[in-house]
Order: sequence, then structure tokens, then C-alpha cells
Amino acid sequence: MEKNWDVIIIGGGPAGLAAAIYCGRALRKTLVLEKKVFGGQIVNADIIENYPGFAEPIIPADLMEQMSKQSERYGVTLENDEVSALLREGDGWKVAVYRDAYLAKAIIYAAGSLSRFLGVKGEKELLGRGVSVCATCDAPFFIKKKVAVLGGGDTALSEALHLSKFASAVYLIHRRDQFRAEKILQDRVFRNDKIKIIWDTEVLGFKGEQRLESLEIRNKKSNGIEVVAFDGAFLAIGTIPNTGLLKDLVKLDDNGYIETDISLRTEAKGLFVAGEVIKGNRRQVAISVGMGVQASLSCEEYLASLD
Amino acid sequence: MAEIISANDLNFESFIKTNRMIIVDFWAPTCMPCRLMEPGLEKFAASHPESVQVLKVNVNESPKTSSRFFVRTLPTLLFIKDGQVKTQIVGAVNPNQIEKALSEVG
Repeated sequence: MEKNWDVIIIGGGPAGLAAAIYCGRALRKTLVLEKKVFGGQIVNADIIENYPGFAEPIIPADLMEQMSKQSERYGVTLENDEVSALLREGDGWKVAVYRDAYLAKAIIYAAGSLSRFLGVKGEKELLGRGVSVCATCDAPFFIKKKVAVLGGGDTALSEALHLSKFASAVYLIHRRDQFRAEKILQDRVFRNDKIKIIWDTEVLGFKGEQRLESLEIRNKKSNGIEVVAFDGAFLAIGTIPNTGLLKDLVKLDDNGYIETDISLRTEAKGLFVAGEVIKGNRRQVAISVGMGVQASLSCEEYLASLD
Repeated sequence: MAEIISANDLNFESFIKTNRMIIVDFWAPTCMPCRLMEPGLEKFAASHPESVQVLKVNVNESPKTSSRFFVRTLPTLLFIKDGQVKTQIVGAVNPNQIEKALSEVG
């Protein structure tokens, strides 16, 4: 495998792949490193209906496969590996991966975000045993079963709608008294007979031996605590930015996000950022794609200044 | 080089009896990360000698096997050595992560 690259893009989600297409077309030697699967978190969703340019709902995995192929068409190399360190090396960068390392003149960091967990008792132990972060992955295990979805955003409501096609009953547990999800999703949820909403409620713990059996929940208004039987619980309570590798390189806010301007440059020379690592990102594929394009254009400007 | 074999409720036990080291990929057609992880799994299997057998189990078609191992999330990779589950990886991973888990199992 080639060691020296013009650009290494860390993260193969919408931001990273969009950046890759533009870097490839700028005829830069470009490597994209993705630790899980190319496509990013959006591939966990069953459909995507709001990505401009498609009148009919599309399958996110199909969209992302097209983005991967589109980048490869312009000579980009896609490699499935996890970055363990990002270091300064002269005027450029050294990217360490499992048993190897690469050098690049510039980096576009688009490593996205990770699922947020509640950090309550039983959660870690029962993850993969009834507690899940991906409804489309795990819905087949909950046919005619009773499940809970935790959260109130687009992901939570989309997952509840998807699960309603499999489960006997879906309970949306939300800590507030209103959702922040798209209104069209709220409308579908309110009209779905299988979905019931438990407002103003937080989950205190997950209970079960070999598998999830119940949730301990607390109503925030009455303070009443009860244990309710569930076969599955799907967490959709937001994400945390995957910026651990940047902590000594750029200033991160208290929550780990990067603050930058529209150029998507950082204070570290030759390091650009895109997607859900940036403060204020609203977790939309279209936004991440746009950011990937912008970061690659800023990156190209930088590389051209070195030529 | 080893190929990935599809196993099911009926023949799963025979694979355990005849192979020392098995990696089982539990998947379903609706699981998109499973689909996108497949090229990496194929790459891993192709780069390995036949001492490691990679199996695929469709949980929709083989509910007994997935229940037996308490699989409730996809994709799940199970590492079985001499008939015993040694470790598991939950969620999509890359070939190097599979390699690393395998080396830890020994």
C-alpha cells in the first residue's frame, strides 16, 4: 500500500466521501480511512426521504455505495482501517493505523460521531441483548414483541416508525413534553396506532439477566418510579463527536466539538474538518455532504499554495 | 484461502464439530451495516488459511442458532474455538479488527 498521499480523509461517511469526490477530481492522491463501514451512521436508517434530488425515498446504504463508487471513479483509494494517532510530521501529517502508518500533506477530518449512551445501570451489560442503537439492524429480533425507543429527535421517531412494522407495541419514551423531530415524522408517529408516547420520562436503568426484561423509568413531573416490562430498548438520544484524535491539535469545546468558520480550516496548518465533528451540526446527510465539499475546496486551496 | 459458507439451524452443529476455529457472522437482509461489512469479511476470509472457517447465519432463517447464542443485535461476530464461544464483536467492524480479535482468542 502506498505510504505518501496528498490528502488523507479520516472518516468514510457522507462528509468524508463528498470531500473524497472533490479531492479526486482535483487530481490529488487521496486516501479515505474508515474504521467501520463506508457510508457512516446514516446506513443504520431504513430510508432517507429528505436528501435533495430524489423524489422517491431512497435506501441510505444505496446512496452511500454510490458515493463510494463515485469517489473511486476519480481515483480515490478507500481503505477499511482505524486511525490510532494523528501526528505532525514536518510540514505534513502522519496517520497511524493498525500495524502501519501513512504520510499526507493535508488531512480532512470527518470522523463523525458516536451513539450517546445514558450511562445508567444495566445498559452496558445488556447492549446487544435487547438494548440496541440500530433499529434497522435489530428489528427482526422483535417481531410481535414490546419495545421502547428512547429519544425525541428525527432518529428516535424514524426508528419507532420502522419498529412499528415488526413489534406488537412501540413506546416512545421522551424526557420532554414535545419532540424536536421533523413535523412530518411527528405527524406519522401520532397517527400510528402501534406507537404510544410516554412524555416527561427518563430511564433510570435496564433490567434483565441473559436479556433485557424491563426498564426502570421515572416520570419527571410526578417523580413516580415504575418498572415496565420490555423485550427491547432502542437508544436514540443523540451522539457525541468522535474527536479524541484531535484533542492535542485543535481547540475543542466542552462537549468535544470543533468550532470553525465556513472555510472549515482549523488552527492546525493543513488540517480541515467536516461533518458531525463540528459544533452546531444538525445531523443531516445534505449538511455533511456540503461540508465535505467545502472542506475539500479549502484543502485544495491550501495544497495549491504548496505546489 | 477460505470461503464464507452459509450455515443454518440444521447444519450449524456439524460445522462446530468439524472445525477447530469458527467465526460466525449473524446477519439479516434488512441490516444495512451487515451488507456493507460483507466485503471486509470476504477480504478477511480470503486472506486466511482454511484453519479458520467463516460462517454466515441469516437470523431470519435460523432463529434457533441466534437464540442459542443470545444474539439480539446485528451484525454480531462470534468466535468459537473447539466448540466454545471465546469472544464476540457487536456492530460493524473492519478486517483488522476481526484479525485482532482472532489473535486474542489464539
